Amino acid sequence: MNQERNEIIKLKSVGELRNTMANYFSRLKDAVDTGNKKIAWCTSVGPAELLYAMGFEVYFPENHGAMIGASKMADKYIPSAVSLGYSPEICSYLTSDIGAFLQNETPLQKSGFESVPKPDVLVYNTNQCHEVGDWFMFYAKHFNAPILAVNTPMWISDLTPAIIDGVANQFKDLVPELEKVSGQKLNMDKFKETVGLSHDGCVLWRRVLETAMAKPSPINFFDSAIHMGPIVVMRGTQYAVDYYKILLEELEERIENGVGAIPEEKLRIYWDGMPLWYKLSSHAKLFSSLDACIVASTYCNSWIFDDLDANNPFQSSALAYCKLFIVRSDDEKQKYLEKLLKDFSIDGVIYHDAKTCGRNSNNRYGLPNRMNDKNKIPYLEINGDLCDSRCYSEEQSIIAIETFIKQLASRK
Amino acid sequence: MYKIGIDLGSSYTKGVLVDNDNKIVDYLLTRTGFDFNKAANKIIDKFSAKHEIEYPVYTCGYGRDELKIPFVSNSEIIALSRAVFEKYQKKCSVIDIGGQDTKYIKISESGQVDKFKMNRKCAAGTGSFIEELAFKLDISTSEFTDYASLATEEVKINSYCTVFAVSEIIGMIKKGALMPNIILGIYNSVIARSLELSPIEDFLVLTGGIPDHHPIMLKLFQEKFVNCMSPEKSQFYAAWGNVLLNNLNKENNENLV
Repeated sequence: MNQERNEIIKLKSVGELRNTMANYFSRLKDAVDTGNKKIAWCTSVGPAELLYAMGFEVYFPENHGAMIGASKMADKYIPSAVSLGYSPEICSYLTSDIGAFLQNETPLQKSGFESVPKPDVLVYNTNQCHEVGDWFMFYAKHFNAPILAVNTPMWISDLTPAIIDGVANQFKDLVPELEKVSGQKLNMDKFKETVGLSHDGCVLWRRVLETAMAKPSPINFFDSAIHMGPIVVMRGTQYAVDYYKILLEELEERIENGVGAIPEEKLRIYWDGMPLWYKLSSHAKLFSSLDACIVASTYCNSWIFDDLDANNPFQSSALAYCKLFIVRSDDEKQKYLEKLLKDFSIDGVIYHDAKTCGRNSNNRYGLPNRMNDKNKIPYLEINGDLCDSRCYSEEQSIIAIETFIKQLASRK
Repeated sequence: MYKIGIDLGSSYTKGVLVDNDNKIVDYLLTRTGFDFNKAANKIIDKFSAKHEIEYPVYTCGYGRDELKIPFVSNSEIIALSRAVFEKYQKKCSVIDIGGQDTKYIKISESGQVDKFKMNRKCAAGTGSFIEELAFKLDISTSEFTDYASLATEEVKINSYCTVFAVSEIIGMIKKGALMPNIILGIYNSVIARSLELSPIEDFLVLTGGIPDHHPIMLKLFQEKFVNCMSPEKSQFYAAWGNVLLNNLNKENNENLV
């Protein structure tokens, strides 16, 4: 490892990111403390716009799972969930989150919370997976709170009217149930405004990620995995829009001044799959020391819902959330990936096979081979997990990554 | 002056002494244990007792960056590929079965690594699978090959997991299966796992401690692939490749992987 180059160049916007996220949690805590607003739990690609428009403060358990992973506490919590009958083979966001709850611990305690915020309603969309339903059901039963679902078909190829209309109707069916909880009628103007803000935030997020097309790239995957916080938890609010304007300005300034995310960018890598949250920092250093910049990823690109349209909020929400990468057929995924590899001038692809998240592990049905046959871009598969560090063999993976980078360098 | 290449693996450390013509003139195999420096020094002490050696030494393997003496480290996959290409000078596939890792490498016509893959985080298909089963069956690993050569038919081992394989074998013994047939099944289980890494299309080269110490492995591979060879002392190839790689880099003043 090149010790002089094993750092990423920190973005100045990190301070503003911290404030934006701290304010979000502060609003959530205020709702817990005062009861002035109802609290909805929502999946990370669930109907956040509808919930914000109806006056809820919105809490995202997946964001919580990522916080547990990044704080390297998942291994302590997972066994508690396993002892309750949740298999260690299923989603480690679920097992680490429920395990932490059983141990009365949460990273939110650092922000003054006693526990996770008690839900008034839980809403999930199965576009990402069905496990979110099992996860939310645990809490719905524990808190005796209503649980609502949007059931999205899987492996979508063509986004047919039947599919979009079906999902749009499910979004509409949520409204009367949410009105019962919130005690107020849906204000369509407010919903349209929220969908508009979500669209604007997503467009800015896309522009942020697309700055990485520049050489050198001003941002890498490890930055994006942190800076995606607002688009996940504040999608549909002015806060996310305001934050991404600041971040975008800094990145454009970097491009103008030729400043890269790492000291020297010789290779450009695409990351497919989830981050290994507990290794975010050490992976950032490892790739930087190898002069390899991970410039684009499936994961961070997943929060670009720019099909949202304020003039057609239900229908466009259905389209945007069905168009999501994770719910598409492998053929559609391949087309999408091929375009990104070209647009971002990718030298090599790394597929992270996350032991407990099949839906985010796109190497399992032959896709890497099919891609490689077509574009000849080398790829590497590494085995690990999003939260459960016991599934990751660090020494073996470092050897594989170093070898892969040398393999790519030899092709230059 | 002689150069030293060292492959600091998870189970064993392999050292080679290489002359100016890139030929190996001496070998040493020692258990890695918990102290990489101790293992490396054992090799250096042995070689330097009889020959004048030059520093840095060339390292690869898990302990490649841990030495206190001057060293240049390489990826063991690239080092192994270099050595295999030096030996055969042609496009080939390599299956390397070591103590903890099993690797597949595809080497191009020009000697470059085209593709590689390593086993998952699991002992099945690696040397540890054989060693653990040998220990549980109280048969020395060196006797394993002898047993397997007496097999009349294969008893298929279904378990991926080393621990479950032991209980499966106990069940087979209870049903009257013969030990040579069971051991043949164990070898074939390791081979089947290694072949899951990639389809094999080219000339196949088998390397690593397992084929070196279990010669029946080559025979079993050759039953599946006529065009398969395993060079003598292949366990030392990554260590040798380290030195070759360095010489090549010097000649070309670039990193020719």
